[in-house]
Amino acid sequence: MKSGLALLAALLAIAAGASPALAQYRIGMSAAITGPASSTYAPTYEAYKVYFKRVNDAGGINGQKVEIAYEDDRGEPQRAAANAKKLSEGSILLVNASTSATYKPFMTESETERIPLMFGGGVCPREAFPPANALIFCSTSFGSKWDSRFALGFIKEQAGGRKVKVGFAAQDIPLSRIELEFAEQHAKEMGLETIPVVVVPGSTPDFTPFAQKLKDAGADWVLSWALWHVEVGVFEALQRIGWQGSYLLYGHQQTQDELARLKAPGLHAFGGNTLFMENLPIHAEITSLVKGQTTHPAHYMSEGWVSAMVLEAALKKCGWPCPKDKLATAMSGVSVDTRGLRGGPIEWTADNHYRKSTYYKVYRWDAAKGGIVPVGGWTRLEIK
Amino acid sequence: MALGGGYFKTTYDGDLALVDTRLRRVTLAALVVLLLVLPRLASPFALDLVTQVALAAVGALALNILTGFAGQVSLGHAGFIAAGAFTTAVLVEHRLPSPLLALPGAALVGAALGVVVGIPALRLKGLYLALGTLALHHVVLYVCGEFQNHWGANTGVSIPPPRLGAWVLKGTTAWYYALTAVAAIVLILSVNLQRSRAGRAWMAIRDREIAAESVGIDVARYKVLAFVWSSALTAVAGALFAYQRAFVSVEAFGFFLAIEYIAMIIIGGLGSSLGAVLGAAFVTLLPYGIDAAVAGLRVPGGAEYYLFPVKFGAFGLLMAVFLVFEPQGLVGIWRRIRNWFSLWPLRYRPLRRAS
Amino acid sequence: MTQVLATTVVVASLYALLAAGYVLVYRATRVLNLAQGDMMTLGGYFLFLGATSVPGAPALSVAAAIVLSALAGFVIYRVLLRPMAGHPIFAAVLVTVTLGILLRAAIVLVYTDRIRHPLPLLGLANPPRRLPGGAVVSTFDLLTVGVAALLFVALFAFLRLSPLGIQMRAAGEKALLAAQRGINFQLLFALSWALAGFAGALAGMLYASNVRLDPSLGVLGLKAFAVALVGGLDSLGGVIPGALIVAAVEVLSVRYGDPLLADVSPFLCLLAMLLVRPWGLFGTKEELERV
Repeated sequence: MKSGLALLAALLAIAAGASPALAQYRIGMSAAITGPASSTYAPTYEAYKVYFKRVNDAGGINGQKVEIAYEDDRGEPQRAAANAKKLSEGSILLVNASTSATYKPFMTESETERIPLMFGGGVCPREAFPPANALIFCSTSFGSKWDSRFALGFIKEQAGGRKVKVGFAAQDIPLSRIELEFAEQHAKEMGLETIPVVVVPGSTPDFTPFAQKLKDAGADWVLSWALWHVEVGVFEALQRIGWQGSYLLYGHQQTQDELARLKAPGLHAFGGNTLFMENLPIHAEITSLVKGQTTHPAHYMSEGWVSAMVLEAALKKCGWPCPKDKLATAMSGVSVDTRGLRGGPIEWTADNHYRKSTYYKVYRWDAAKGGIVPVGGWTRLEIK
Repeated sequence: MALGGGYFKTTYDGDLALVDTRLRRVTLAALVVLLLVLPRLASPFALDLVTQVALAAVGALALNILTGFAGQVSLGHAGFIAAGAFTTAVLVEHRLPSPLLALPGAALVGAALGVVVGIPALRLKGLYLALGTLALHHVVLYVCGEFQNHWGANTGVSIPPPRLGAWVLKGTTAWYYALTAVAAIVLILSVNLQRSRAGRAWMAIRDREIAAESVGIDVARYKVLAFVWSSALTAVAGALFAYQRAFVSVEAFGFFLAIEYIAMIIIGGLGSSLGAVLGAAFVTLLPYGIDAAVAGLRVPGGAEYYLFPVKFGAFGLLMAVFLVFEPQGLVGIWRRIRNWFSLWPLRYRPLRRAS
Repeated sequence: MTQVLATTVVVASLYALLAAGYVLVYRATRVLNLAQGDMMTLGGYFLFLGATSVPGAPALSVAAAIVLSALAGFVIYRVLLRPMAGHPIFAAVLVTVTLGILLRAAIVLVYTDRIRHPLPLLGLANPPRRLPGGAVVSTFDLLTVGVAALLFVALFAFLRLSPLGIQMRAAGEKALLAAQRGINFQLLFALSWALAGFAGALAGMLYASNVRLDPSLGVLGLKAFAVALVGGLDSLGGVIPGALIVAAVEVLSVRYGDPLLADVSPFLCLLAMLLVRPWGLFGTKEELERV
């Protein structure tokens, strides 16, 4: 038996790993490329790949190529923890495009190694809002508290003067729970009648009991803010049991496809990204650039494209050489024109790593027109 | 085991010794030297792999005690690992992160859980035992999940690096030495358990329970003992897991983890301590092997979408292949190779004379 | 109250379809097919395959899915289970676990983790229906209940009345004696696996049309085997009360208790049954030995 172990150890000793060559702007990105949440986060990864391939082909930034190391975390915190450790070696920036469950290990790693951390696909954590943590940045279109403030304002406006009862469907992840509990509180302050938040486990196969709770409580409007499959799962269950109210959810990458699939008049999706059906010049540009290069269609790319644009601007501002602390300072003064992908520019200050103003738009399916229509225009909220 | 011509022992101590022949002593010494100087020879990546293998081996050896020695089928292994990891997490949340507290604490929690599982398990056999342990795995995970919800706000618990007094265990090399040492201790423990009275009782229970009972072995006591030993060691492995990963989150302990450990002991060879270690190495290194193969073959773009299902599928395929074609596992293969060398130029082992 | 009852019956029907697969396989080959959930997912994906290849032809897609799933069950027995004859039961059960892994890997490889919806591709809709008493369920919920009922009636008729069914029961009970009577029990074992594939496909297609289709649906299979065990692993009749009990516990724990408990409640039922009466409500008491 001992000889068996000796042989094994010898074989292991022979295995040698290659150490990476010293390269230019080194960035590490961990995304949910595969796994149940992949349709929301994998497009960010793909957008980055296409965007920075173009940047590198055109000569890079400040004469240096941008090297991004990608790791798949499947939306699982344990894998994200391993990725964080692996990616932080030698990187000047960590990017996280994954579920909020993966945030903690990344924030810990960013703190210990003093590497700036940008959230490019997942919801913006509290640390990016004023007063911002020096190392945490967020380009994602949705963020806690402000989303609810807008959503409830929209519901109240849609209600006209009528009394409406608002229900809340959360997922059993902390950010969703906390957000909707805040929303419930805020709704009460706004004078709306509320129903206690219904928390749904993300892996539940049947949303009917939770929908039943909402229907029985008499909800006229339901607000949901979670991963897409939970948001839409509750809505579909509500429809199945014959609920006639209106539903407002946060629109992730799948919004355009799903609104067209469901064709439901009561379903409203709000978000910060312009849908591709509006066919702006930037949309045509992205569509032609990603053709054949991504597994997700072009209209999933908004979130990732904006994030890549912000990163490019930050690197340009940082100059060369760009160690991680210099990058953190540079990022604190970045201002990027989103060219229509969002309602306005992304502007970061030393205190505000989310943006100075955030913009929201609501879309729904119009049966008469046979297509998706915006409900009103952009609503601007100033972040203080 | 005696081979071929027979080795003649002249003292009882000589007969009982773990390492009995000169060849084995020399090999063991060489192995120890190799393990000691490995950090100088191997890259950090390879060293990290060996560390992972060592950690997996602890869990595999623990499972082998229960399923390999005592024949008690358990599908709830991941639950015990989670119990150990979450004991550490609970202690960390209560500002008691010292490993001197966490490791014995985990062992105690594991042992207690072993008693809780073992006593009802006396009523169940075979398939029903497997199902019962699977159900228990889900219950343990539910409890851990509730804890994580309550304390860690559902994003898991960060575990600081373990410190013993002023010294902090950090860095690839330090972890390598620590975990290899632990794995070596558990291996010696496992081999000695196998040769002890309890080990012989377990193997008797595994082979023919009714006969074991009729010979006077207290089946109930030894079955529970198997559960206790196994789950205590597994919980310790879980605590080490928590420290090494520096992060504990309940979704890492799903049913697939239990399947991985069962695969380790099956692929390695059921009932053999060497088998558990070989199986642990095989299952741990397999994904990296596939990574290397995919990188080497230079599969065109989109590989990252296929890597996960390919690794997953390859694991399943290899496990099925071993189950169907090589029930004795890697140890069986190793023994065949060893016998070929030791018996050459003869093919067959001479029959032992009845004494 | 009627809604709770309606939801329980619907959930129980789905579990019953899956548990039927477990029982069929167990009665014949004494193996617990832990891949039944993944066979259900496979059936759902076969339907999706049909729906994407020939959109708007539901009868064709359903037929194709059924045929392919039954064939898959047949092939699985032949390739994976038959070589395991003579091995300990535990090894055979592990082989089914690896089968589940392989099926899941294959599905993800071809279709990725994206959530799919075959229903619109088939050109069908799933409108809600009002039941007497005020409960509202979807069309496919009713279909699930109906299909489950039909399947059980058909299985009972088949196993009790038809010659092939009686042969299958005989082969399941004492394979050696059956062989001596000239019954080709290997073929019958394969047939029982094909039937399990068929039952799984029904469950998969109904679930995929009613809710959604993604590779992780296999976890429902694990819950369903709690149902099979509560009813009795070798009793088809026991599946129905077993499914109702487990479904009731689950629905009630979501409604009146902690929703997170819903995932664990089938396993608590399983544990309770194992401690009190391991062979289930209607199963035959037995010792488990090597095959």
